[in-house]
Amino acid sequence: MTSETQPETDATPCGYTEYREGPAIDDLPATGVGATGVDAAVWDALYAVEDPEMPVSIVDLGLIYDVGVDDGRARVDMTLTYSGCPARDMLQSDVHEAIEAVDGVDDVDINLVWSPEWSVELVTEAGKEDLRDFGLSV
Amino acid sequence: MAATEIELTPDQRLALETELRTLADDEFVLAERYTEWQVHAPTLESDLALANIAQDELGHARLWYDLLEELGYDETDLLWERDPDTFRHATLSELPFPEGEWADAIVRSYLFDVAEGLRLESLEESAYPAIADRVGKIQREEGYHTEHAENWLERLATDDEGGDHLQAAVDRLFPHALALFVPTEPVPFGAETVSGDGAGSQYTDTDALPDAATVEETIVAEGYRTDSLATLGERWLDRVVPTLESHGLRTPVPADGEITDELVPDACGRNGRHTDDWDTLYADFTHTYRELGREDATMIMDRPE
Repeated sequence: MTSETQPETDATPCGYTEYREGPAIDDLPATGVGATGVDAAVWDALYAVEDPEMPVSIVDLGLIYDVGVDDGRARVDMTLTYSGCPARDMLQSDVHEAIEAVDGVDDVDINLVWSPEWSVELVTEAGKEDLRDFGLSV
Repeated sequence: MAATEIELTPDQRLALETELRTLADDEFVLAERYTEWQVHAPTLESDLALANIAQDELGHARLWYDLLEELGYDETDLLWERDPDTFRHATLSELPFPEGEWADAIVRSYLFDVAEGLRLESLEESAYPAIADRVGKIQREEGYHTEHAENWLERLATDDEGGDHLQAAVDRLFPHALALFVPTEPVPFGAETVSGDGAGSQYTDTDALPDAATVEETIVAEGYRTDSLATLGERWLDRVVPTLESHGLRTPVPADGEITDELVPDACGRNGRHTDDWDTLYADFTHTYRELGREDATMIMDRPE
């Protein structure tokens, strides 16, 4: 720690308004492009689920890592932007409800995953557009 | 889920639970303390920052408690109805803040966050996949905590008065921070989490438990954590002592760097012995649960199946 206190005129009071960038991860964001049949219907249902705090689909936000439907049993691998996310149960509940309503789905398994960790790199272009409209600088 | 698919021997399970309890309890209890600064921190920004750090720590605690839940516990077992003597956080987390001592919050956060960062590095390659999977997420958030503490440390150290407050906090907290590197005394398996003669049934009773040093050896030998606490403690000293000294602060570490047991408080938390302040804090955070006559953790909404 050798740096001296900066004169006040050089202060940058909002040093942390930017998201810290993360590495790009192969195969993510998963968006359901090319999905067919029930899988595609599940993706559609997921697109309709929005983040509780911002008007952006959780798919465009990059929270969904994988979707698969096997014999009526849907499995979703999803993450959260933040480990302390207060909407954890709410989001999972929304996802559960949305997928359960899809024709051809009888059961839903939601698997919360933390690796690779979410970063703003996982937001799709459409998602970035929505976040900008909302007033965020991404 | 990964955890339930792995067959654990009783010794492995004990080692894993011990590491998870240590990680989770440190974070949970520290967050409980941090929240006491709500609306009392010196500026609005610092208030928000510390509140946010507290929320992060609660999130991290949950990530670790989740893994204990996968081993058969529920939230009631792990928090609301847990015997306070079975918490294993280091006493650094539980000490109350002397009234208005912001320097205490900063020094505590600094000592803790550096230690946590080192411990997380040592979990990156954990042989228990569900631990390794969580580390990156936590590290990304922890980086901000250390930065926050270091910035404030630097700011407070720029004048004599701030320096005096920091020194008092170092004197008070440093021994309790050393407790972070004391091997954790294992807790017997909750009998309800072990079916019949299932894995670990031999450890449902305190008398049969191996000692903390043996469990620590198992944690490292099994690769749940890849470095020993002794190694992590040395790395921590190499980092925090020079930094504190660069701010004109003295630590109780002798010139030869040798840490002896005398420097660590008798009640250090990891050994199951806590300060009286822990009883008060435990009574506080379980107060509403008891007052409302709860028998299980109440959710705002049902958890998805």
